Amino acid sequence: MDFMYYGDTLVVDLETGKTQTREFTEVDEEGPGLAAGLALYEEFSDAEPLVVGSGLLTGTTVPAACMGFVVGRSPLTGEPAVAPLSLFAGAEVKLSGFAMVVIKGVSPRPVYLWLHDGVADLLDASDLTGLDTWQTTDRIRREMGEALVQVISIGPAGEAGSSLASYSINYWGSGDTAALGAVMGAKKLKAIAVRGLGMLDADDPPEFYRAALEMISRSPAELGLGRVCAALEAGDVATWLEPLVHRYRSCFACPSACSTFVKYREPPDVLGTDGVEEPGMLVTSPAAAAWLRGGGWDAEPACRAMEAMARQGVDMMRGARELAGKPLAGESEIIDAVKGLTGSMDAGWPSSDRAYPGLFGPWVPPLASQEEWDAANRLGYVLGICPTFIMTSGLDAAELFALCPPAAGVELDAEAIAGMVP
Amino acid sequence: MRVKVRPMACTGCALCELACGFHWDEAFSLISSSVMLYRAEEKKDYMGVIVKTDEDLFIGRPEGAAAMKLGEILKQGTGGGASAKPILIREACDLCESAGMEPQCVAICPHQALYLE
Repeated sequence: MDFMYYGDTLVVDLETGKTQTREFTEVDEEGPGLAAGLALYEEFSDAEPLVVGSGLLTGTTVPAACMGFVVGRSPLTGEPAVAPLSLFAGAEVKLSGFAMVVIKGVSPRPVYLWLHDGVADLLDASDLTGLDTWQTTDRIRREMGEALVQVISIGPAGEAGSSLASYSINYWGSGDTAALGAVMGAKKLKAIAVRGLGMLDADDPPEFYRAALEMISRSPAELGLGRVCAALEAGDVATWLEPLVHRYRSCFACPSACSTFVKYREPPDVLGTDGVEEPGMLVTSPAAAAWLRGGGWDAEPACRAMEAMARQGVDMMRGARELAGKPLAGESEIIDAVKGLTGSMDAGWPSSDRAYPGLFGPWVPPLASQEEWDAANRLGYVLGICPTFIMTSGLDAAELFALCPPAAGVELDAEAIAGMVP
Repeated sequence: MRVKVRPMACTGCALCELACGFHWDEAFSLISSSVMLYRAEEKKDYMGVIVKTDEDLFIGRPEGAAAMKLGEILKQGTGGGASAKPILIREACDLCESAGMEPQCVAICPHQALYLE
């Protein structure tokens, strides 16, 4: 495929510390996005790989074209699982100079992977060991002298191999509900840092751009968690959060701003930079917010708990489910409670009824049927469009398929995608 | 007539950067746009939009929006991170006149954070 991907497949051998590139042939043989990612996962399955990639349209002006992914064997199920790279991480992976990244084996020492401009470096992470994800992100950005580096990192939960471990994206929760953060910990891979300064070409640029712009103009441009929580039948989370709201934030290229930045260490209406260094957090998990609200938590301590989970690298959805019904108020007791969630994989943490079998993580019944959920995720991860946006925006899959020829000269439909991704 | 910014309407999606970059290169990237999303202070959620013209930068900060002459900017720096192509060496906004289109950053913004005045 000559369009929509930039760079080769990178294979990182953590055991030897060596990297090599090869032509990205999987996109033509198996299909784009997750189809190629799963093929690479299977090829390297003996080495327990993590495969990092992005969808066909990720990084373009198509609505919600933010989505990248990580594929690995979930410790919760023993089966392959997909976790999202949202916010700016998926787009920056797409523009990093590598079409897909395979990370295989186990490193003999703590390392982090730095991807930029088609260059891959495995760097020593000994001095990052034990740090939380906020400290890790700060440290890596400071070392790079670059505040826009996207840092996919694990905290103490991932290092300990907790079944609740989840990688964070910069400072915020990622939606990794498959404990791929624990896989990173087992590999001694503290973080993947990425900066995307590349360029994506389309097969028919004017037609592709015109069609994408037209889709943007018809897409819902809503603010906050209201629409998503309504779809989840999760209650009025938006009103509950309202007193803390500083601003609404979008993922890359998304017209809807589902994430909400809340401030609780300074008044939410403070606009400048003269206040406290860490005034609050970005609420990225409607499910976690809904679990805590429904579990009797006030909004401010709930947000502090979500911050603590992001820092520790704990899956917010499952962590919030554990904390629901046990509302706390003081910051130190909240932090202690969250740290208490980060036990070892064998310490009786969420058992099989809390693990979500299947490739795509927790199916949320009010949002969609199991079939709709799987179809939206297949479509989203092959094309690089946020599956939640697909399920809640009324986006027509046929319109996305119509973008594929001008994007990359390929024809795709639901049947083809179902054949690419089981 | 110029592109101006309502900074607090911006949700940081970067569609304006992509659209502007497409206008210049007929490709998608974050390095060639005349519009730059300032997102370097993530923990504080301090975010703004900068639009470069031949004469000045229109800077939409959360505290307010105003044009600054390029000379003043050179003294202060423009932020954006070390690897962000500095906005001062990017193309100046031509209101997409060279492509015979309306300004694409304005057209694509889902929240009307960019507007013509």
